[in-house]
Amino acid sequence: MAQKILPDENKVQRHGFRGRFTHWTVALSTLALIVSGFGQMPMYKRYYIADLPGLGWTADYSTTLIVHYLAAMVLLFAVTFHLVFHVIRKDYDLIPKRGDFRTSYLIIKAMVTEQEAPPSGKYLAEQRLAYAFLAFSFLIVGLTGLLKVLKNLPSVNFSAQAMVWISDLHTLSAFLLVFGIVAHLAAFLFRENRPLLPAMFTGKVNLNYVKHRHRLWYARLSGKGSAVSLQEAPAQVPEENIRVS
Amino acid sequence: MSKMSRRDFLKRSVVAGGVVMSGAGKLAFAADGSPVGTFYDLTKCDGCRDLPVPACVTACREENQQKFPRPADQIELYWPRNIKEDWSDKKELTTRLTPYNWTFVQTVSVEHNGQTVQVSMPRRCMHCDNPPCATLCPFGAQNKMPEGPVLINKELCLGGAKCRDVCPWGIPARQAGVGLYMKIAPKYLGAGVMYKCDLCYDRIRSGGAPACVEACPKRAIQFGETKAMLEAAQARNSAINGYIYGDKENGGTSTFYVSPVPFERINEKLQEQKSRQENPKAPGFPGTPVEVGNILDTANGTVAGLVIAPLAGAFAAGYAAYKTMKGGE
Ligand code: SF4
Ligand code: SF4
Repeated sequence: MAQKILPDENKVQRHGFRGRFTHWTVALSTLALIVSGFGQMPMYKRYYIADLPGLGWTADYSTTLIVHYLAAMVLLFAVTFHLVFHVIRKDYDLIPKRGDFRTSYLIIKAMVTEQEAPPSGKYLAEQRLAYAFLAFSFLIVGLTGLLKVLKNLPSVNFSAQAMVWISDLHTLSAFLLVFGIVAHLAAFLFRENRPLLPAMFTGKVNLNYVKHRHRLWYARLSGKGSAVSLQEAPAQVPEENIRVS
Repeated sequence: MSKMSRRDFLKRSVVAGGVVMSGAGKLAFAADGSPVGTFYDLTKCDGCRDLPVPACVTACREENQQKFPRPADQIELYWPRNIKEDWSDKKELTTRLTPYNWTFVQTVSVEHNGQTVQVSMPRRCMHCDNPPCATLCPFGAQNKMPEGPVLINKELCLGGAKCRDVCPWGIPARQAGVGLYMKIAPKYLGAGVMYKCDLCYDRIRSGGAPACVEACPKRAIQFGETKAMLEAAQARNSAINGYIYGDKENGGTSTFYVSPVPFERINEKLQEQKSRQENPKAPGFPGTPVEVGNILDTANGTVAGLVIAPLAGAFAAGYAAYKTMKGGE
C-alpha cells in the first residue's frame, strides 16, 4: 500500500511492494496456466510449436499437467493473499461502482476525442470493470479447475454429463480469461494510459499525471478533498459540474 | 446412469445372473450392479491356432460392425502437416488394433525355466479403474461408466488422440474423416474420432456378456464382477505358480491376464515383434510393461499443495494486513 505523494520525485507512490508482488505472481502463474492449459489439448505438436527451440516439453502431457498443477498452487496462494488482505483492510477501491459503464464510456470517448476525461479515483472506471471481468473469469476457471483436480483423483468419478459440463466450462472460461487479459494489455495502446505502466514496476506514477487524470485520488492523498469531491463522479452528472477544490 | 436405467440394469443383471457367462459357472455376473471385468486365462487360450482369424476377434468384428467408422470419401490432411490417419483401406487387418478392429491376438514364444512356452494374448482396452484416457480428455468425451467399461463418445470426440498418448498401451485407434470436427473446420482443427473396445456395453447393459467371451471355444475369457474376476485370476495364478497382469498396471484395471511366463519376457518379445514391423512407430500394437504407472500419479501426488497454497496465502495476508494496520498505513 503506502500510497503517498512524493513531492521531491514529482511522483506518487501508487502500489507498494505487496501489490506489485501479487499482481506479477498472478500474471506469471496465469501465463504458465494458459500455456500449460492449452497444452492439455493436442495442439503444440500438430502446429509445430513443440518444434521451436526450448518448447519440446509443451507436447508432453505429463509435463504440462504438472506445470498446470504447480502454477495453480502459486495462483491460489496469490489470489487468496490478495482477497484476504483487501478484505481485512476493507480496501475496495477495485470493486466496480454504480455508473462505471457510463464513466468508462466517457473516459474512452475522451481518449479518442482527446478531450478532458471525467475525474477519477485511484482506479479508472474501466479498470474496475476489467477487474470484475477478470475476477469472474478466474472464479469460473478456478472452480471448474478444482473440480477437474478432484476428478483426476483415483477415488473420484463424475458422470458423463458432469464431465462434459466441467470440461467445457473450464475451456470456455479460460478463453474469457485470455480475452480479458488481451483487453487489459490493449489498454496500453492508448497513450493516455501509458503513464500507469511504471506503477506496475516501480510502484510510482508521475505526479502531474495523477493531478490531471486521477483528480479524486489526488485530492484524497493530498487531504485537500472535501467530502463531496471525494465521491467519484456519478456518470449521470455532467462532468462540468464536478470541480475538485 | 439415471435411476431408471440403473434399476433396469439391475433387473436384467439379476435375470442374467442365472446364465452361465463364462468358463467358471459359479460367477454370476454383476447381480448387485457392481462393475464388471474380465479374466483372460492365457493357459487356456491357444490363439485359435486352427482358425485363420481367432474366434474372439471375428466375434468382435461382427458384433461391432455397426459402430465402426464411416468416413467421408475425401479426407483432408491434418494441416499444417502432410498426414492423416486413415485406416479405411485396411478394414480387413486383424493383427493389430485399428478403428475397425478392436481386439487382436499377440503370440510370442518365451524361454522360461528351460522350456519354450508359446503364449497367445488377446489384446484390447483394459477398462482401467482410473482411466487417464477418460479423465484427461479435454472435452469430456470419454467416460468410465458405473458398470465398468470406459466409453468414447463419438459425437463429441475430435480425434486429438490424447487418450492414446496417455494410455500406457496406446489403445484407442483414430480414424480421420468422421465426427464432430468435420462440421467445424476439418482442415485446421480436429482429426477424426477415436475407437476402441467398449466391452460390448449394450450387451452387458441388457444382461449379456461381451461377444468375445461367448465366442471363445476354449472358455479362456471369463466375464463377471470385477472383484470376482480378480479373485478367479489370483486363484488361477497361485494354482499354476504363474504371473498376473492388469491388477496393478496403470493403477489397476478390470482386465486380468494370468500367464505361465513372466510378462516382462512377453513384453521383450512384443517389442521385438514391433521393431520388426514395417512401420514400428505405428499405433495399435501394445506391449505389456509390468507395473506401468498412471500418468496422473505425479499430479495427484501434488494435490496437498493445492489445499495448502490458499491456506498459506490467507495466513500471509492476515499477517501482512495486521502489520500494515499496526504501522498505520
Ligand atoms: S487401457 Fe487405455 S484406453 Fe483402455 S481404459 Fe485404460 S487407459 Fe483407457
Ligand atoms: S481368447 Fe479364445 S477365442 Fe480368443 S484367441 Fe484365445 S482361444 Fe481363441
